[in-house]
Amino acid sequence: MTEKESLELISKMINKAQNRYHDSGTGPILWGTVISICSLVTYFRILYQFSLPFDIWYLTFIAIVPQIFIAIRENRLNKARGYDDDILDAVWMVFGMSIFLLIFINANIVSTLQPVIEFYKTKSAVSTVPNYNSFATSFFLLLYGIPTIITGTCRKMKPMLYGGVICWICCIVSVFTDITWDMLLTAIAAISAWLIPGILLRVKYTKLQPTNV
Amino acid sequence: MFKELNPILHSQLRLAVVSLLIAVKEAEFTFLKDKTNSTAGNLSVQINKLKEAGYVEVTKQFKDNYPQTTCKMTKKGVDAFEAYVLALQAYMNPTTQ
Repeated sequence: MTEKESLELISKMINKAQNRYHDSGTGPILWGTVISICSLVTYFRILYQFSLPFDIWYLTFIAIVPQIFIAIRENRLNKARGYDDDILDAVWMVFGMSIFLLIFINANIVSTLQPVIEFYKTKSAVSTVPNYNSFATSFFLLLYGIPTIITGTCRKMKPMLYGGVICWICCIVSVFTDITWDMLLTAIAAISAWLIPGILLRVKYTKLQPTNV
Repeated sequence: MFKELNPILHSQLRLAVVSLLIAVKEAEFTFLKDKTNSTAGNLSVQINKLKEAGYVEVTKQFKDNYPQTTCKMTKKGVDAFEAYVLALQAYMNPTTQ
């Protein structure tokens, strides 16, 4: 083996190791679908003034169960662990916890502000009082973008990186729109950040799988 | 004066294994076998040589009732690899020495 061949071998192997990710895309597809369904149903519910017997957003809690199975399965299929894997796992874990904390914080803000808003409505006779929930969406969209951009950058996955940027664009726009449009923006963000990159990962993963002939 | 290339690393399969392990935190035996297109027997012998040299740490355990061998680079291995790459570069670009 010559020196040139040695360097070529090193370069080839490092490339092989870096292209080892065989993400099936199941997780991003699951969350992209769940969040976009919840947002679109909420959008149409507000737009056409109908009610559901349950809160559609409870679907996000139910989706945690398949997510646990997906995580265990993908962990089992991963034959090599990179230095960035631990970091990305921590980032998504922190993201999940932050979402729950934000739900808790928002619920407390709404319960505190609502009586004040109701009082203001009766006293001022103004019908269009700002709704806090309209601003709350911006915080969620801001959070959606953070782990998505980090993952897209670390994995060199441009669709996910662009999806994360779209989340932040939707975040800025949602500051100036009401809750109805915020739901549409949330759906756009979920589809761009997770559903589309997830489908692209799935297509790549399916192509790489050996065919059972 | 050129430095002598480390004979433990200057072997095709061992260099391939070390190059893979340098890019990841740890890797299973099956991963190394797939990426190097080697036979289990040959790979096992070469990993053992790297282990004896103190370049690679090998952990054997059971996962879902199957034996699982995991390899990772040691500090000594990383240093040896860096020295090997520097020596290669010196061979390739002798004027920079």
